[in-house]
Amino acid sequence: MKRQIPLIIVIGLGFLFVAHTFIPSKTSVDFYDWWVSWSKAISPFAVVLGILSLFMVHGTKIQRKAPNWQYSVVTLLALVVTAFSGFAWGTNEGTPFLWLFANVQMPMSATMFSLLAFYIASAAYKAFRAKSPQATVLLLAAFIVMMGQVPIGAAISKWIPETAQWILNVPNLAAKRGIATGVGLGMTATSLKILLGIERTYLGSD
Amino acid sequence: MNLFEKMKNIDRRYIYLVVALCIIIPLLIPFNSRTYVTDPTANLYKKIDSFAGKEDKAVLLSFSHDASTMAELFPMEVSILRHCFERNIKVFTICFSPPAAPLMAYALNVAKEDYPNLKSGVNYCNFGYKPAGLFLPIVLGMGDDVAEAVQTDADGRKIKNLEILKGIRNYDDLNLIIDFAASAAVFSWITYARVRFGANVAAGVTAVMAADNYPYLQSGQLVGMLSGLKGAAEYEKLVDVFAAYEDTEYPNGREFSPEVVKDTWVPIMSKKISYDSQGSVVQTNVDLPYKFKQARIGMNAQSIAHIMIIVFIILGNIGYFLTKKKTAEVS
Repeated sequence: MKRQIPLIIVIGLGFLFVAHTFIPSKTSVDFYDWWVSWSKAISPFAVVLGILSLFMVHGTKIQRKAPNWQYSVVTLLALVVTAFSGFAWGTNEGTPFLWLFANVQMPMSATMFSLLAFYIASAAYKAFRAKSPQATVLLLAAFIVMMGQVPIGAAISKWIPETAQWILNVPNLAAKRGIATGVGLGMTATSLKILLGIERTYLGSD
Repeated sequence: MNLFEKMKNIDRRYIYLVVALCIIIPLLIPFNSRTYVTDPTANLYKKIDSFAGKEDKAVLLSFSHDASTMAELFPMEVSILRHCFERNIKVFTICFSPPAAPLMAYALNVAKEDYPNLKSGVNYCNFGYKPAGLFLPIVLGMGDDVAEAVQTDADGRKIKNLEILKGIRNYDDLNLIIDFAASAAVFSWITYARVRFGANVAAGVTAVMAADNYPYLQSGQLVGMLSGLKGAAEYEKLVDVFAAYEDTEYPNGREFSPEVVKDTWVPIMSKKISYDSQGSVVQTNVDLPYKFKQARIGMNAQSIAHIMIIVFIILGNIGYFLTKKKTAEVS
């Protein structure tokens, strides 16, 4: 029963939504509207679940003084302070919530993402080698695209941005289209397997 | 051990130091550089501009990213908002992830500072954050009735009562959706808003995501695309040269023209008057606030960083081939 009931729900609702997409009858539209109102009601519970889970995981870490438990204190404090500032003063212009966003979250997130530039430079120096003809082609394409993307490339020669655009429009596009077709076919096959109950890994192992 | 072998084994912290300097110095000491406008950017500009002053046309900006990718995406959001505000185009904003909500409010606040006459609910409207679970119902629902699908804006007002909704019912009117993302979020808009309702969809994406979108540009499912900081810089230039352009002949901006784009460059850091290729004076507002030229300043840093990475690759390969040659000689 533990596996059969979820399986019946997935297969039943799966076919209902397929039917809704292809059969725009009144019953189908009513069913869809009913589902929308349920989704609206269910979504907030997911937030509550997430917050509870965060408190449980980090609360346990603090209680047991696990390694780096201090970070858990910061996480929970940040959650409480940010949420409180939003509830107390709103999220509009000039509120503490937006101040926290602009002066804490924005610079911290940007810092994390900008670390990528350092890793790319280091990896390019240490690992990007013309070891084979294919690697050499990749290297040359990378040079042209990188130069074509910045003003200095166009200042050197008009040919650089034009070739960079050609690389993106022709070889890149052909490869991307091939990948997209493969992914599309794979998604259709997997969806069918789930709808027909053949694919059951989402149910877990027991 | 020769120089190249030593360099091959260089401590990566020296590389990090060079990267930091190459990025920080051009940001601290900005300089003028030319921005060349690509077709996907120009197409998006033209599409938005075609809505100018129309009561029954509006643009929807969907924010699908968090603060980590703001360096690339925020300048394009501000530029597009500036374009809409300059040309009296109705603009709506929406997001389906919590971290994007303050970002959306921040972008609106930054862009509207220079337009004191704009009113929320009249010229623009922030739909606010909607739970991701409601993405499909809202995206599909807007195909029938925007007010019914979205219900309330970020301030909790019923949007059907807002003045901005006059003339806007569904995707026939809310005819352009621009998704700003560091992910494949725009594909959902293509799948549901474009394919099912024929809405025009465009993307503003980080440079690493841009390559994924080319098939959709070629098929026409994306009407335009801003690709990373470069796309943002291109759009900033277009807004300067056309939408925000002011002189006695064009007091309220001027129409897009490919020839003007080609011939004009905007000196962002200089107060000197510049000249186009024919030697005519280009009258542009050189006292631009930083927020309206941040992508072009950022592109200077990107130029230097790209050159630096290319130099690193070349040096690394020279070291590799010399070591390979030496090993072959020894054996």
